[in-house]
Amino acid sequence: MEDLLFSAISFAEKLGAKYVEARYHRNSLTRLSARNGTLLGVGGGVFEGIAIRVLYGGALGFSSTNILNKDSVKEAVKTAFDNAKAHSRLMKSPIEFVDSNMGHVKYDVIPDKNFDSMDLEEKIGMLNELWKNVKDVTTEAKIPVFFTYYSESVEEKIIVNSDGAYIRSRVPRIGVGYNLVVLYPQKGSIQRFFSYGASGGLEWLREWNLSENIVDEAKTYEKVLIEGKKPPEEPIDVIVGSEIVGLIVHESCGHPSEADRILGREAAQAGKSFIKPEMIGQRIGNNYATVIDDPTIPKSQGFYLYDEEGVPARARYLYKEGVINEFLHNRWTASIFNTESNGAARASNFYGEPIIRMANTYLKPGNMEFEELLEDVKFGVYMKSYMEWNIDDERWSQRYVGLESYLIENGELKGFVRNPALEITTKSFYSNIDGVDKNLKFYAGMCGKGEPAQGVPVWFGGPNVKLKNIRLRVVA
Amino acid sequence: MRDELLSLTKNVVEKALASGFDEAAVKISSFKSAMVKIANSEPSVIQNWRYIGVEMYLAKDKRLLIFSTQTTSLDELSRVINNLFETSQKLSPSPIYSPLPEPEKIEPLPDTVDKRIIDAINDPSRLAEILIEASHRSKIDYIAGMVSLSYNEKALSTSKGADLYEDSTFLESYIRAFSGEGSGQWAVGSRYLSEKKLEEVAVTASEFAQKAKNPEEGIPDKYDIILSPMVAGNLLNVVARMSSAFSVFMGSSIFMRRRVGDKVASESFTLYDDARNPELAGSTAFDDEGLPTISKPIIHKGLLNTLLHNSKTASLMKTKSTGNAGWLFPRAWTLRVELGDASLNEMISEVKKGILVTNNWYTRLQNNVEGIFSTITRDALFYIENGEIKRPWKKLRIADTLPRLLQNIYMLGKEYYDIKWWEVDIPSRLPYILVKDIKTSKHTT
Repeated sequence: MEDLLFSAISFAEKLGAKYVEARYHRNSLTRLSARNGTLLGVGGGVFEGIAIRVLYGGALGFSSTNILNKDSVKEAVKTAFDNAKAHSRLMKSPIEFVDSNMGHVKYDVIPDKNFDSMDLEEKIGMLNELWKNVKDVTTEAKIPVFFTYYSESVEEKIIVNSDGAYIRSRVPRIGVGYNLVVLYPQKGSIQRFFSYGASGGLEWLREWNLSENIVDEAKTYEKVLIEGKKPPEEPIDVIVGSEIVGLIVHESCGHPSEADRILGREAAQAGKSFIKPEMIGQRIGNNYATVIDDPTIPKSQGFYLYDEEGVPARARYLYKEGVINEFLHNRWTASIFNTESNGAARASNFYGEPIIRMANTYLKPGNMEFEELLEDVKFGVYMKSYMEWNIDDERWSQRYVGLESYLIENGELKGFVRNPALEITTKSFYSNIDGVDKNLKFYAGMCGKGEPAQGVPVWFGGPNVKLKNIRLRVVA
Repeated sequence: MRDELLSLTKNVVEKALASGFDEAAVKISSFKSAMVKIANSEPSVIQNWRYIGVEMYLAKDKRLLIFSTQTTSLDELSRVINNLFETSQKLSPSPIYSPLPEPEKIEPLPDTVDKRIIDAINDPSRLAEILIEASHRSKIDYIAGMVSLSYNEKALSTSKGADLYEDSTFLESYIRAFSGEGSGQWAVGSRYLSEKKLEEVAVTASEFAQKAKNPEEGIPDKYDIILSPMVAGNLLNVVARMSSAFSVFMGSSIFMRRRVGDKVASESFTLYDDARNPELAGSTAFDDEGLPTISKPIIHKGLLNTLLHNSKTASLMKTKSTGNAGWLFPRAWTLRVELGDASLNEMISEVKKGILVTNNWYTRLQNNVEGIFSTITRDALFYIENGEIKRPWKKLRIADTLPRLLQNIYMLGKEYYDIKWWEVDIPSRLPYILVKDIKTSKHTT
């Protein structure tokens, strides 16, 4: 395979390319799906191919093939080169890549417990066991549907480029997800999609404590359904659970800090950014607002050590103590901003071009206990989890609708509220933080961007956060 | 490549049966495609793909496996199949198993290939140039967007004796134009290459951007809302996915507590899965089980006419397949909403207090069973009062329920638009649609 990649580099250089990159990318996946404990079937696949990028005349050509022989790869190089050449006449601002240190390295994520250390029958049994444990835990409501999946995957890459990069990596990932429907016809239903995910192996199953958590959730949702009251409409203090905080920082800090978005490259797809190129150093929130994106967290879902352009990864402090501090860069955006790439170029598969992506994004935790956050609230709401959310395409106006949510009175949780909606601007969120606890937790997600759309595995997380003086919306 | 692909699908089915499986269906997809992505009124990347993929459905004693791979080497495929057979021994029978259907006569769709698209794959630069030039005929700042072209072949063989092949072409393009604080976006999805249609996409996006140049803050309230075909396409894609019998089975559908024949929408509303309309991108003559597809209403004059089935969900729900397989998940091939008789101006004049939403994104649901959702507008949004567009507004959310939205459809446009883009995944042919009394929302702080 490496010979094919190196021959692609040589061929493109002979054609006259200013830069060429060849990436072998293989994703293999096995997935078990069950409904109400019964296995529906096994799915999976192997998806492998080679992606080529060529820079010529200021235009960028990308080509991908999964026909892995010399002729096909040569044709892919020629196509990428010809396309770059044909479109170079349309370029007003020729594309350039900044110089970067190029990695020459091989790295693997080593699971504590390999996937094959548990039989397939045991994995199927685990899904069955989850259903057995959850199906009768509600007293008045019913659980008509409990869909679960278990997945294991391995992502392998070899990246070489004409600037000297050679990166070989192997990252296994594990995931479990479910759709739980709790139905009480007089009051309607509650639905919860949730997924766990990380890099590594079966060691995560114990960590996730699936059965206990799912049973607790089902019992809680029954109470929310039957007892949940309308949330207060006057301005109150709101404790936002770490699950929602993680999503908020991903959506309202990570995405708008992507330099390609700031430059308009994704304007017709994932949108632009409220952050403009000159806004480094401007205030976006108070001193609690420190958001970090770090690809190097061991065993994280978004783990990598070198990006698809061969650049070493590192933690990026996007917002620092309330100030816009750093953007996510690839080698093209770094050249525009006259800075260094911080290694944010990722592709999810062999048919995707590397674009700027997050990895593991989180709000910096503090020192308080959760109870300390709570005890200061005279009257408020604690939103622990969510289902519905969205944000505008400049990442300014956002909405999160609570699923498991509580009324707070005099520092104590006092029953449930149903479907409170936190609808807030980015600046208001980061400016209204009145306390953060020390309970940093991460949540798994697949982040979508690009054309064709690419989903890359990420974590997002944070502590529990107290916001002051927030008016919630009430969902019908 | 017809013969080559069909020979391979047949061979793989034979290998699967020889290795011990009771049943097999094998689909091979091959495509060549090109895409020019545009940003700041210039190409940001020109992408090109050459791809062959093999998908296998395998059953042994009612145990089900679905596997994708990209090797076309028979030896390698044999190894994969043998491994899968070993895996099948460890599985339990699937509650959704039913035998693959007996083959039926397939009438091919005419004119599914436009040679101009195949030619343009080799050099799409002229099309990119047309989009950039046409959009800048109006006074705008810049555009972003893309044009994508593909030639697709699929071959399918089943152990019941179906051996089928189809090829088709597909054009997708969308442009977003920016003018001051305003923006406009429009899209097209088609079987055929039409430079005129590409120009229309660019011109429409630019006109919206200009008209929305100086937007004011919007005020959330309950409004009559005119959904452009872009917006209607996005929301009806969600409804179409929920009409898959598998979505109902998995507890992810507003139709979970409904029956065929129930009133689920306004009487004026009919939504087709127009699978056999060759003009529509996404149409196909046969599904993944080798059954002929059928153009049929999902919702007919407000009544739920059918869920979308493959033979598995059909057997589970004691009905017949609707030719929408997906081996596991039945899906709509292409959507069409039956026209009404209103022009856009007539629709606007009908609105006392409302909004015209030209584009949206990020539709998410709090609850798929209840259909509680919100979506946020992007691009040109206009406030309408007493039958006239008064001013452009900044973003609002539509935040209501899908069942109410369907029931409150009041008026349908008399002109079709073929839409496909990021937020409209199933190619859709739709008019403007007016819905009454729908809630909107906005950030409180």
